[in-house]
Amino acid sequence: MEALEEGLEDTIVAVATPPGPGGLAVVRLSGPHALAIGRALVGTRELGAPRVASLFGLRDPGDGALLDRALVTVFPGPASYTGEDVVEVSTHGGRVVPARVLEVCRSLGARQAEGGEFTRRAYLNGKLDLIQAEAVADLVEGRSRALQETALFQLERGLSRRLGELRDALVQVEALLMYHVDFPDEDEPPVGVDEVLEAARALEGRLAELLATAPQGRLLREGALTVLAGRPNSGKSSLFNALLGEERAIVTAIPGTTRDAVDAVVSVGGFPFRLVDTAGLRPSDDEVERIGIEVAHGLQRRAEIVLFCLPANAECDAESESYVAGLPDSVKVVFLRTFSDLARSREGTVDATGALSEVPSIRTSVVSGEGMEELQELLPRLAFHGRGRGGAGVPVLTRERQAEGVRQARDEVALFCQCLEWDVPADVADTHLREAAAALDEVVGVVPLDSVLDRVFRDFCIGK
Amino acid sequence: MKLEWDVIVVGGGHAGVEAASAAARLGARTLLVTPDLGRIGQMSCNPAVGGLAKGVVAREVDALGGIMGRATDATRIHFRMLNRSRGPAVWGPRAQCDRALYPLAVRRRLEEIPGLRLFQDSVTALRMAGERVGGVVTRAGLSFSAASVVVTAGTFLRGRIHVGREDALEGGRAGEAASLELAEALEGLGLTVGRFKTGTPPRVDGRTVDLAALELQPGEDWDYRFSGYETVPFLEQRPCWITWTGDALKRVVEENLPRSALYGGEISGRGPRYCPSIEDKVVRFPHARRHQVFLEPEGLETTELYVNGLSTSLPPEVQLAFLRTVPGLEEVEITRPGYAIEYDYFPPHQLRHSLEVKGVDGLFFAGQINGTTGYEEAAGQGLVAGVNAALKVQGRGSWILGRDQAYIGVMVDDLVTRGVDEPYRLFTSRAEFRLLLRQDNAYSRLGPLARDLGLLEGWQEEALRAREGAVGEVRKWLEGSRFTAAEVNPLLASVGSPTVAETMPGVELLGRQGVTAPALWALAKERGASDAVPKDGNPALPLEELLGEVEVEVKYRGYVAKERQRARRLRSQEEFVLPAEIDYEGLVTLSWEAREKLVRVRPDTLGQAGRIPGVSPADLQNLMREVRKHRGQPGRRRQSVGEDEGKESVSRKAI
Repeated sequence: MEALEEGLEDTIVAVATPPGPGGLAVVRLSGPHALAIGRALVGTRELGAPRVASLFGLRDPGDGALLDRALVTVFPGPASYTGEDVVEVSTHGGRVVPARVLEVCRSLGARQAEGGEFTRRAYLNGKLDLIQAEAVADLVEGRSRALQETALFQLERGLSRRLGELRDALVQVEALLMYHVDFPDEDEPPVGVDEVLEAARALEGRLAELLATAPQGRLLREGALTVLAGRPNSGKSSLFNALLGEERAIVTAIPGTTRDAVDAVVSVGGFPFRLVDTAGLRPSDDEVERIGIEVAHGLQRRAEIVLFCLPANAECDAESESYVAGLPDSVKVVFLRTFSDLARSREGTVDATGALSEVPSIRTSVVSGEGMEELQELLPRLAFHGRGRGGAGVPVLTRERQAEGVRQARDEVALFCQCLEWDVPADVADTHLREAAAALDEVVGVVPLDSVLDRVFRDFCIGK
Repeated sequence: MKLEWDVIVVGGGHAGVEAASAAARLGARTLLVTPDLGRIGQMSCNPAVGGLAKGVVAREVDALGGIMGRATDATRIHFRMLNRSRGPAVWGPRAQCDRALYPLAVRRRLEEIPGLRLFQDSVTALRMAGERVGGVVTRAGLSFSAASVVVTAGTFLRGRIHVGREDALEGGRAGEAASLELAEALEGLGLTVGRFKTGTPPRVDGRTVDLAALELQPGEDWDYRFSGYETVPFLEQRPCWITWTGDALKRVVEENLPRSALYGGEISGRGPRYCPSIEDKVVRFPHARRHQVFLEPEGLETTELYVNGLSTSLPPEVQLAFLRTVPGLEEVEITRPGYAIEYDYFPPHQLRHSLEVKGVDGLFFAGQINGTTGYEEAAGQGLVAGVNAALKVQGRGSWILGRDQAYIGVMVDDLVTRGVDEPYRLFTSRAEFRLLLRQDNAYSRLGPLARDLGLLEGWQEEALRAREGAVGEVRKWLEGSRFTAAEVNPLLASVGSPTVAETMPGVELLGRQGVTAPALWALAKERGASDAVPKDGNPALPLEELLGEVEVEVKYRGYVAKERQRARRLRSQEEFVLPAEIDYEGLVTLSWEAREKLVRVRPDTLGQAGRIPGVSPADLQNLMREVRKHRGQPGRRRQSVGEDEGKESVSRKAI
């Protein structure tokens, strides 16, 4: 609580657009002095109507020098993104103009905003719940359409709503219990333990269901770990670069060029993949290379997908077979026959017989482009199969923090069920329901009204 | 006649009685003024004390030295422990009392308090000295002075009684005049007024009821006492009877709905959802085929029965018609028709936690005037108001019970923080620390507080000391007890728990479901080995209850510890005091809704602010920031009684 509130009295400023040449740049101010600084910047008493962009000449109040002609829009709090007074200045782009405007704002008392500080203020001022704030971060950083859609859904309160429904169901179970506890002599007999238990079990199931989306959420945020494996010079790095679309790994003909794992997050078919190019697997005396190989082994065992590369004209030897057979079952393997352009015919190649014959196989060439489209269709299917993108109306837990809260709620509900089965008195068992509700509240970051009694009154005929 | 007093209590209902008694016990020269001394402690509705949560309050009032529990024990004619089959935290002791004897038992105990005087008259106005209250003026033209005045007007403020549509008349209770002048005087102070209604069922001649045809509900044969301090002999006990309404009653009520004051549009005030009239039940729950009716004895010397469950504002002839459709009541005769009553209340956000009216120094409100219902709720508030009225006169800081200390604390905080939108009644689900607030540990929780404050008379202190000693002994015995496999296995087998192979500590055995402290005690007593086994047979210190208190602490210690931990977290927010002069409207970083609510309630602490509906955690965050900004330091801690004279303060002891 203490850490969050530090420095909220400041007015903050930042260039909201990325640096570099461009048509426009946006400088954003938020805080108690945003309007005053905005006025000083345009040199007039009025800044134009709220939420209407107006053209002004920006000047440095120090020396009166013209900085730019820019569109200035005022969002008086609380009807603004942060809930505070906000001023947005659309200047010309480039490196110089926005930097100078920023500098002048700072000289007028604004403080350079830290990363995410506008959104943090929006949360602290009650404009966004915690999940929405996290979604904003995902939207800004997101590198794939799938994550963008999931984040947008969260920003539209999709996940918050689902958590709200689950909390509602918790209150409902508690209401059944409270009818039983607070109104023992009523017209309708107490709700049977079986009925309470059934409702609690159903709720536990729904919590578990939501929790099961956490790995999917992690995949969406971090990208599916996809490891390129194979002997040195089997074409891993050129494939990596082809998928990445830029020369990232150094491709040479010297075996063992890639000694550390090189990774990048790429979007394939709209889905994020964390692509890792590893050192070729071969016995080595080179200390550094050996460490690289060990890292590669570790990565391969944790991977969603291993792309096993073997030149199309090379033999499918026992070593390759046993390597693939030795991978954990959780790893999906794709067998890539690389350099297919060099092996003009299938003559002289030995077909896979063991483990390699059981995995999908694609002939690829980064030169001719053979197999690349097929690979790009296969990867999302393997990593995200049947899971959909998550965005379209399906809430997904994208943060460990969210998963932790839901897990805690599920565990408390499970304990509650256990209590009822062991005949622990309802009022004692109820402690677990209250803890579960608190865990869900913490995920959303809001504490709604306790409405157990309202529920009881709505659903039962109470009173003598 | 003496005209100068420290504290004047207006009204002699359950709130007024406890207010006057508490103020006088604290040493304030106290006068209780009420229109009819014969009706002090009158049970206007059901002649019963206790029930879920309410029973715990009755005990809390007793632990704090009050009257209610003692009068109940002295006049009870039927007792049941509600929820006995459920958890220990929600047991609710409930007693039917003799309606005629209860007020006498109350009066007698009031008259035993030195420094308390009773006077029969109606208060018509307040004497004011600027923004301070200075005393009261009565209908007889007397002018009494006092630095503190506690108003406990019940349903008398502009009370209107409805028996059917045509029949509305002014009245505070059947046959008693309403208080119109006092209502005007209080409104003249600039207070906001609200209107509530409540109702009561008809009472009938027991000789005209076919009791033999009804289900008998005997009381429990248990010497449970609401008072841990005074041990009185019990009266003869009487049973209750149960019957059910059916379709015929539903038809009669439906046909006559337009004649009901409630449904004919005569009544505008809002009534309690949990105490619906039979009209309400029929309209709101049309699917319910039948409703339970309890026939409860009014007293030992009369056959009159209270028809619990059929509260109504229909005309008497309709009441008779629907009663006669109920099995067992085919030939019933009504002795007193049921009625609905509408009355003024003052929305309680206008009060401090001490129940002092904000902006009127020395004026306190307690009971139904604050929008509550129930004798126990009234008594609890009366006690808080009486204590604070006396402390005010004595220049001592105010006294507030926390939500983790007592149901009374939960209630007062709910009232002043959340306000009421229907007559307020306590439920166990209103308490977030239910496991800590039990009927069995009321003396451990509140006894020491009462002693330190000076609320107990000498004999009560003595009884408290004896009880504390006995609980300590039971705890020590239980913690040291060990049972061999041979001793304990039959017990374990009988409750379906796995048997053991070696000697086990009693504390560990108690952790098992089905194993109770009384069962272990019985084993130890059988063994007869040690003098350390606590003795039973003292009615003032019922062993079953002492064992029960210790048992809960041991059996559910994990849960109890969890609640204590949550209570501590809450307390840190309670200690962050919000200055009285905050300009909430100027705090633009708070949501519009939060600002409006904060202006209305003006909370004392950050914790209280957080419990106001409409104030979000983000608002709290910003509020804390604003307070620190203006003060340059964290919120000052609240002081304990006596430490900081005249300031709002709170006393908290470990429970």
